[in-house]
Amino acid sequence: MSPAATLADSDALDAEARRLMAAFTGAGYERIAPAVIQPAGLFLDVIGESLRGRTYVFSDPDGEELCLRPDLTVPTCRWHLERHPGGRAAARYCYSGSAFRYQPVGADSAHPREFHQAGIESFGVADREADDAAVLVLILDALRTSGLDGLQIRIGDLGLFNALINAIAMPERWRRRLKNKFWRSDAFRAELARLKAGPAAHGQGLPSELVLALDPADAETTTARVLDYLDRTGIELIGTRTAEEIAERLTAEAADLQEPPLAPEKAALIERYVAIKAPVHEVADRLTELAHASGVDLAAAVAAYRRRLALIEAAGISMRGAEFSAEFGRNLEYYTGFVFEVIAPALGAKSPVAGGGRYDSLLAEVGALLPVPAVGASIHTERMLAVLPGARP
Amino acid sequence: MTGNGKLVLALPSKGRLMDQCNAALAKAGIVVERTGPARGYKGEIAGMPDVEVNFVSSGEIAQFLKSGSAHLGITGEDLIRENMADADERVRLLAGLGFGRADVVVAVPACWLDVRRMSDLEEMALAYARLHGRRVRVATKYMTMTRRFFAKSGVTGYRIVESLGATEGAPAAGLAELIVDITTTGATLKANGLKVLDDGVILQSEANLIASNAAPWTPELSAIEARIVAQLRG
Repeated sequence: MSPAATLADSDALDAEARRLMAAFTGAGYERIAPAVIQPAGLFLDVIGESLRGRTYVFSDPDGEELCLRPDLTVPTCRWHLERHPGGRAAARYCYSGSAFRYQPVGADSAHPREFHQAGIESFGVADREADDAAVLVLILDALRTSGLDGLQIRIGDLGLFNALINAIAMPERWRRRLKNKFWRSDAFRAELARLKAGPAAHGQGLPSELVLALDPADAETTTARVLDYLDRTGIELIGTRTAEEIAERLTAEAADLQEPPLAPEKAALIERYVAIKAPVHEVADRLTELAHASGVDLAAAVAAYRRRLALIEAAGISMRGAEFSAEFGRNLEYYTGFVFEVIAPALGAKSPVAGGGRYDSLLAEVGALLPVPAVGASIHTERMLAVLPGARP
Repeated sequence: MTGNGKLVLALPSKGRLMDQCNAALAKAGIVVERTGPARGYKGEIAGMPDVEVNFVSSGEIAQFLKSGSAHLGITGEDLIRENMADADERVRLLAGLGFGRADVVVAVPACWLDVRRMSDLEEMALAYARLHGRRVRVATKYMTMTRRFFAKSGVTGYRIVESLGATEGAPAAGLAELIVDITTTGATLKANGLKVLDDGVILQSEANLIASNAAPWTPELSAIEARIVAQLRG
C-alpha cells in the first residue's frame, strides 16, 4: 500500500473512531485511554496461553516482562481497579485504540497484526439481562449510525449450558470438567465419551493398592496413605503441590472408579443441547421441551434468556434472522454468559465486525475482591471501514 | 551470501553435533573442507564446486533456513519446530541422519500420582488455580512447541516460564510446577524427581538435512540437492 493510501486510511479510521466514541459517550460511557504496554504476567494469567502464542511479549532493560495489549478488555479492568480498589463500584467505560496480535503466514487483510478496537465495558450492574441487552443494542446502534446495514447477529449463552449441567444429577467434579471443556469441542466430546464409557475408561495406571486404601470421607488418613506410598516406593515429594492436593485428586479418581457411567439419556440430553442451532426466537421453546422431556428444571435460565431477548427487541432491534448456536463461542477463556458476534455478509463469519459478551469472573482474576458482573463488546474498526459504502477514499 | 548462484549449505560450527555431522557426511562420501583462515567459517565440498558451506551455530541454522540465507542445512528437528511456528510451510525435512537423537517431553514430578496423562494435567491445572490463585507454570525453552502440543491436547490452564538452562531443576526449586524439555535417556529427569507423562512425548527429534523454501532455488541447485540427499540416504 502506498504511503498516501496508508495515511488516508488512518485518517478515515480516526474519523470513524470519533463517531463511535461520540455514540458511546452519548450513552453514558466514560471515555478512557488504557496503556498500550501492559504487564505480561497478569495478561497471560488471565487470557491463557492460547492467546499468548499471538501476543507480542518482550522484556524491558530492567528485565520486566511486558506485552503489547492483545485486547482492551483486560486493560480496562486494570484501569477500573486502579481507580476503585476492590472493584465494587459500578462504572461504564468506552475506549478506542490499537491492539496487537501476531498473525501466521498467509493471514488476510481482515486479520492485520495491528488493529483498532472501539469498545465498551460495563461493570457492577446487577441486572445481567438488562445490561447484556443494553451492550448489544448500543453496539448495533453505533454500527448503524455509521451507515452499516444488513448485519447478521449470532448469539450464544454459557448461562444456559451451565444451568443444564447443574440440573443433571452427576458428581460435581464431572460438572467442572464439562464446563471447563465446553469451549473446545473436541476435548468436550472426548470428555463426554469418557464419562459415558464409565470407570473402565478411568484410572489406567493408578497404583491399585493405593486406590483401594483411599477413603474419601477421611482426608487426613488419605494424605497419610499417599505419603506412606511415596515413602515406600522411594519417590520424593517435590514442588509446590502438597500431598493433600495429590491425595484429593486421587480420591476423586478412586471415587470415579466406583461411579456408574453417565447414563446414556443424560449424555444424550447434553448432546442434544450442544447441537442446538436455531433462530433465536425458537430456542426458549426448544429448551423448555427438552427440559420437560428429560425431567430437568431449566425454568430460571430459560426465563432469563426470554427476558434478555425481549429487552433487546423493546429497544427497537429486530432479532428476526438472528441465530443462536449452543456451541457458538469466542476463543477467549474469560466469557461466562451471553456472547454475541455481529457479522457483515461482505466479510463473512470468520471476520466479525463486532463481538462481545459477559465475563463475570474476569475482574476478580485481575484483582477485585469479589466477582463483579461485567459485560462488554468491541468493534473492529478496520473491518467496519472495509464494508462501509464509500468510506474508502 | 547467496548472490553467487551457489548452493549454500549451513552446518553446525562446533561441538558434538559438528563432529557427528562431519562423520555422517564423510560416510556418505561428502568430504567437507574448511577454506580460508584455519578457523574459518566457510568451507567447500570436494567434487561439488557449486556448493558453499557455512559453519554456524546450530540454533542459527534454523534462522538461515527460515530467511532463505541457506538452501540446505543440518540441524535438530526440535530447533526447526521451535523456531518456526509454521515449519511445514517454510522448510522441507529431507533426511533423518540418525544422530542427535532426543525426545522433547512433558515431565511432571514423579510424586504426582494423580497425573499420568495430558488430560489429567488439564484437570489438575484447574484445581491448582483454584487453590493457589495462579496458573500452573511450565518451565521450558520450547515455547512454540509447548503451546502447540498443549493446545492439541486440550490443556489450557497453564503458563509458560521461559527457562534457558537447568530446566529439570525448576519444579524442585519451586520455580515451575512442570517442565517441557529434551531428554535422551531420561536419567536426568529421574534424578530430579520427574517422570514423563504417558502421552507426553511431543517430538522424537534427530538431526535432519533440511531445505529452505525461501532460498533462491534454480533447477541446477535442485539437482545438487537431489544428489546430496541420494548420497546421504545411501
